[in-house]
Amino acid sequence: MLAAENISKSFGGAAALRGVSVQFAPGEVVALVGENGAGKSTLLKVLAAVVGSDGGTATIDGTPYAPRSQLDAEREGVALVFQEQNVNRALTIAENIMLGRLRDFRRFGLIDWTALNRAAQAILDRIGAEFTVHDDMATLDLGQMKTIEVARALALEPRFIFFDESTAFLNHAEATRLMAVISELRRQGIGIGFVSHHLQEVFGIADRIVVLKDGRLVGAHPVAEMTEARLYEMMVGRDMVGGLFPSGASTMSGVPVVALRDVTTETAGPISLELQAGGIVGIGGLKGSGGEAIIAALSGSEQVFSGQMLRNGRPHTPRQPRDAWRAGIATLPGDRTGEGVITEFSVLENLTLAASPRRAAGFADRPAMRRIAAKQIASLGIRTQSLDTTVNSLSGGNMQKVVLGKCLAAAPEVLLLNNPTRGVDIGAKAEIYRVIRKLADAGMTVLMVTEDLPELLGLSDRIIITRRGRISHEFPDGARPSEEDAVKWMM
Amino acid sequence: MAEPATDRGTPPKPSLAVLVRNTFPVLMLIVLCLAFGLMSDRFLSVNNALIVMQQSSVLLVAAVAMTFVIVSGSIDLSVGSIVAVSALAAASLSSSFGAFAIGPAMLVGLACGAINGALFAYGKIPSFIVTLGTLVIFRGVVLLFTKGAPVSISDAEFLGFYAGRTLGMPNTVLIALAVTGLAALVFNQTVFGREVRAVGGGERVALLSGINVTRVKFGVFLFCGLLCGIAGLLQSARTMAATAQLAQGLELDVIAAVVVGGTPLTGGMGRIRGTILGVLIIAILSNGMNMTGIDPYLQNIVKGVVLILAVFLTIDRSKIQIIK
Repeated sequence: MLAAENISKSFGGAAALRGVSVQFAPGEVVALVGENGAGKSTLLKVLAAVVGSDGGTATIDGTPYAPRSQLDAEREGVALVFQEQNVNRALTIAENIMLGRLRDFRRFGLIDWTALNRAAQAILDRIGAEFTVHDDMATLDLGQMKTIEVARALALEPRFIFFDESTAFLNHAEATRLMAVISELRRQGIGIGFVSHHLQEVFGIADRIVVLKDGRLVGAHPVAEMTEARLYEMMVGRDMVGGLFPSGASTMSGVPVVALRDVTTETAGPISLELQAGGIVGIGGLKGSGGEAIIAALSGSEQVFSGQMLRNGRPHTPRQPRDAWRAGIATLPGDRTGEGVITEFSVLENLTLAASPRRAAGFADRPAMRRIAAKQIASLGIRTQSLDTTVNSLSGGNMQKVVLGKCLAAAPEVLLLNNPTRGVDIGAKAEIYRVIRKLADAGMTVLMVTEDLPELLGLSDRIIITRRGRISHEFPDGARPSEEDAVKWMM
Repeated sequence: MAEPATDRGTPPKPSLAVLVRNTFPVLMLIVLCLAFGLMSDRFLSVNNALIVMQQSSVLLVAAVAMTFVIVSGSIDLSVGSIVAVSALAAASLSSSFGAFAIGPAMLVGLACGAINGALFAYGKIPSFIVTLGTLVIFRGVVLLFTKGAPVSISDAEFLGFYAGRTLGMPNTVLIALAVTGLAALVFNQTVFGREVRAVGGGERVALLSGINVTRVKFGVFLFCGLLCGIAGLLQSARTMAATAQLAQGLELDVIAAVVVGGTPLTGGMGRIRGTILGVLIIAILSNGMNMTGIDPYLQNIVKGVVLILAVFLTIDRSKIQIIK
């Protein structure tokens, strides 16, 4: 039995876990569920010592368990399979499986391939993999690569294995096979914890369900005592965020400013959609279910394979983001520091990155740059010491306002927002919501893709839900569905 | 998630490390001048200053060009070879073009830059590989045309203009300074200059913010080629001939000058002013070691030590997670 007591963890002042206690028993599958940011992944990462904890204790079979590193945790029998793909395609299957133990297979300083392959194959046999160590890495699909990661965890002979959203990037068939592997591990007496957003998986395989919300434990119940409805209720909670969202006077009518007709991209489609001026259209859904693909297609950062996009009735065929900006479409990307701002550059440089005012002969218009930047700082309430302060010294909320200011400085007609308040504190959130509402009321066409459920329900004038690359439901304008109602269409 | 709503307060006071990083090139230059001045009484003279400037004019123009490339996050290893091809063009055509031989030199430089830029930006081959290839190719072109024999310049108009002096200043130095001034203007004051920095500082951010990254990358190599064309002309005027070995290995001095001047190879940041200081440091190091009679076989070792020392003292390790 692995028992954790009172685990706390915060990242840069933001609490991710607040005193969570949880147990994992041998031969039991525990599903961890909750909204994005509830602390599920963090809990598993703390237990596997991928990140350190700020407080709390843990024991395995009564003896203290306080690993200082992931390696330490693995030695004590606790392994974690990550959400992201973690195999090296340049190595063989056996090498990938035995990655942490290659030194055990040395003979005269060289690798004993026969022994290595035999040991790796034994693990694959144990979980009933349908491929062998002699197959080429290049022939494996994502699910089989996940199986390799499971095998790698098993190579350390763990007593507990944690899966962090391991099916997030798998298709249905691949996910089903991984579930079969997990069942087999349970039969062999290994304790399993897994995070999943797919409730069919949760109800299909878990023995016990642990629900987290805002870093706190809501409850832990045997799966037999749970229903989907009860689970939604526990995930979402009763407290609604009341004053956070400004009420709007938006009316979306008239000709579509932007339209998608049966658009397909590499990851989504076919999708059809119409956006009118003066309103906020919110798209909700699980990560990778289609919302981000719509933004990527409209903003020119992802190729459209088929279908048509229209801007004011004319074909909109951006070959790169520049073309979208020129068509009056500004995009606030989902990854603030990797896509939104250049962190070592000043507030001034970042705010004018897209607008880039110029004089004759290609000279930058410095006075206009300062004017534009000062205007955005004032109207968005960006707290910075000066225009020349580098962006990496700002807080997350202010940095996000700089990204928004960069978009608005280009005077767009259409604003595409990808998770506009991700990792932003509640105060800055409210300010950003007010700004977006004001823009929409003033006639801006706003499309917001968000994983934040309260934000989707609280700010949108029209709510669209995507599931596996398609639109699964479109609520009528002005409708305020319950969180349970919205989540239903995501799963 | 309750992130503190307040700002992170005042920026930390510049530490000694930051101070060293920002003032290193100037300090280094002063230390070198004092040291060589004490060791040789001929070092600190107007005449020697002119010689240093003359010796460093080619390096200066090429290093300014390289600053653009490095700030954009790329590298150009072929600058020495571009200088050689352009010098060959200038020398071969000096008898018919006279002082206007700068035209063909610039055109040849532009053409070389266009080849580099097209392969890198549109062909999407890493700049290191592209220019490693063209380093050899452009040098091969020079060998092919000269067959190893030098092409000497005898045109009086050409030599009169480029080897002459104005108000006591060698014309090559004046041209190099003018080019540097113009380049600094482009770097600091134009939209292109901003875009170069943005591409080097965060290519994905730049792309998503509507900057035509591919065109900027192509433009950087075109610009670098053009400036190396001018550097080639200056080189041919200084040696009054184009040879197959001209400017061989120049790229190493150029990269050293840019880096010693405080421009990190990681891109996004850099100053033309720093590069000027870097060029002076490299040039004075060579000149001073010659004047003070330091064993020529030792000089390379000293240069290498200075380069590594400069990076060791100025690199900002807090921002780098992976060093390759």
